[in-house]
Amino acid sequence: MILVFPAIAILISMGIYAVLTQKNMIRIIIGISIVESAIILLLGAISYIPDGVAPILDQPYDTVVDPLPQALGLTAVVINASTTAIMLALVIKLYNRYQTLDIHEIRKLRG
Amino acid sequence: MKKINFDKVFSFILVSLLGLFIMKVLYSVAGEEAARFTADHYISYGVDETGAINIITAILFDYRAFDTLGEATVIFTAASVVALLLPRHEASMLKTEFTPVVQQSIAFILPFLWIISIFLISYGHLSPGGGFSGGVIISAMSILIIFTYGYRYMTRRFNVKKLSLIEDIGALAFLTIGLAGIIAGGTFLANSQVGIYPGTPGELLSGGLMPLSNFAVAAKVGTGLSVIFLSLARED
Repeated sequence: MILVFPAIAILISMGIYAVLTQKNMIRIIIGISIVESAIILLLGAISYIPDGVAPILDQPYDTVVDPLPQALGLTAVVINASTTAIMLALVIKLYNRYQTLDIHEIRKLRG
Repeated sequence: MKKINFDKVFSFILVSLLGLFIMKVLYSVAGEEAARFTADHYISYGVDETGAINIITAILFDYRAFDTLGEATVIFTAASVVALLLPRHEASMLKTEFTPVVQQSIAFILPFLWIISIFLISYGHLSPGGGFSGGVIISAMSILIIFTYGYRYMTRRFNVKKLSLIEDIGALAFLTIGLAGIIAGGTFLANSQVGIYPGTPGELLSGGLMPLSNFAVAAKVGTGLSVIFLSLARED
């Protein structure tokens, strides 16, 4: 628990750093995906309760972890997949048009 | 050259500050003992109310089924957008031929993957799994087929049109299941609130309409992600 929060912060920072500094569009998409994965890790981490069991109640239990962030995490996974697919499709379109993946080149070639 | 380095240093400083801020927020949030009224209600009464012992599935397909409808719409929109954006030619960009060893082992694995996905879907209200995970395994099967046997082999059996048809049927089935709540006298997508056969918790036929919604969502997710991958794999 102590180590998960720095990991989340480092992953989010890494993803945003990649988005800020990389020129290749595929690498920017990888950065965005890293941020999305960190968000899912965050949802798993805040649902955790010490000594909690998984929210599948087929036997007696004392404490159960919070089921709500996990359900939201499932939603987040699906939306991540969809947005990544749309970003990749847009990159394919841009590459077909400009023959380059460099985002600065594409900005120069506008028009 | 020097300017780019300056940009990188500046980004690094900004991002480090952001990371420190996120860490501080997370630690202060984790220190608080917040009351979890909704979660406590789901845990204490969820099994009796919905008949499903997997509380996450109970939340996804009963308490917050409308949320799941929106989620299914996101996949539907993504599949439509990707199929619309990308060119419609039949040539394949995956021209690499694998050896017979790979093809035979994939042919050996595929039936087991199918069984696992159906198991995850039909036991979604009893054990870890559910419509989303089972659907993702179905789409993984189609991705494996495309990689191993080629794009043409896949499209001869299942082209985008057929897969989209199955996806539409899944979406319509989920909406029809939602209408059952109105017919029974409740709200749209109501399930246990109007008393649709909660069953004995822990048995296969329990949880009201939850197994049916699981199958509908699995058909939607599996074919939707397959359509996305098929569209991304083709090239003009």
